[in-house]
Amino acid sequence: MENQLHTSLAITTIPIQTWCELYPLETALYEGTIFPCLNLLFFKAPLSTESSKASNGKTEKEQLLSQINTISFAINDLTLYLDTHPTCQNGTTLFYELMKKRLDLLTEFADKYNPLTQFSMGIEPYSTSNYNWSEGAMPWEGGDL
Amino acid sequence: MWCYEKRLQFPVNIKITCPKTAQLIISQYGGPDGELSASMRYLSQRYSMPVKKVSGLLTDIGTEELGHMEIICAMVYQLTRNLTAQEAKTAGFDTYYIDHTKAVFPQAAGGVPFTSLEFQSKGDAITDLFEDLAAEQKARTVYENLLRVITEPDVIAPLKFLRAREIVHFQRFGEALELTKQELNEKNFYYYNMEFDKESLKKE
Repeated sequence: MENQLHTSLAITTIPIQTWCELYPLETALYEGTIFPCLNLLFFKAPLSTESSKASNGKTEKEQLLSQINTISFAINDLTLYLDTHPTCQNGTTLFYELMKKRLDLLTEFADKYNPLTQFSMGIEPYSTSNYNWSEGAMPWEGGDL
Repeated sequence: MWCYEKRLQFPVNIKITCPKTAQLIISQYGGPDGELSASMRYLSQRYSMPVKKVSGLLTDIGTEELGHMEIICAMVYQLTRNLTAQEAKTAGFDTYYIDHTKAVFPQAAGGVPFTSLEFQSKGDAITDLFEDLAAEQKARTVYENLLRVITEPDVIAPLKFLRAREIVHFQRFGEALELTKQELNEKNFYYYNMEFDKESLKKE
């Protein structure tokens, strides 16, 4: 992707994104991207203030789910970036760091409450004596989980 | 193969009942520029996409769009879950209610059911990527139209998130177009269709 971009007639040229300083991950989820350079706001939807109140008044379970959402979203955004920038070292390092954290959090959630993925049902120290894939609220119910 | 996670990509916690808002937002489920259309477009195009990194990107964005579809459906569901017949009548939601009660059904804001006529899988990498770039812009416009008329903060937050994703996806499809151009004759990107005229491929 580092190749010189050719501009030609009758086709568009879109500049390739370069790595930029990231949002703190809690902010990134509420902005919709980890990359400030791609966050082009609409005047009716200014910068978010959600992240500052993210952990206030939440149960431990909700906080854990918030952390999972935050890290998982950063991985989603990073995945698309790495699809077109597979040799970026900054992105690769962060990807593996976040993947490890996400796995730990998913395992913790499954162990304390209920599994969010069947994948986490195969990881120690998950209890294998009861089958609880159907436990926990469906995600569209919102509220107190 | 797909693997389900029992959580939304972006949390949705809407306490109010507002069938009118649900009727507008439902367009991003089953409407012409909705998330279902987006997902099916990318997941259909990827099979014949000749540049491997681009079929990978279509798979990943198509997958994320399924997650967005779930966010929209959760919003519609929460906005109507406590709906009464009287409320449906006064809010102009009665025509939907007659056919679907409180169930979530893929349709446009104007009532047209979901149709694949709204998207293309054309079999030409350049053509399909321009279709994808346009799709992201059309969806952005819909989210902005929604943000202009909706004031409830719990509804605005996920809409703002989804709008931001359209811009990120547009950038990625732009990069995918550049990756595709690298495989073509730079003097004439239209000399052959790399999805069909394979013998003409510059590189294997």
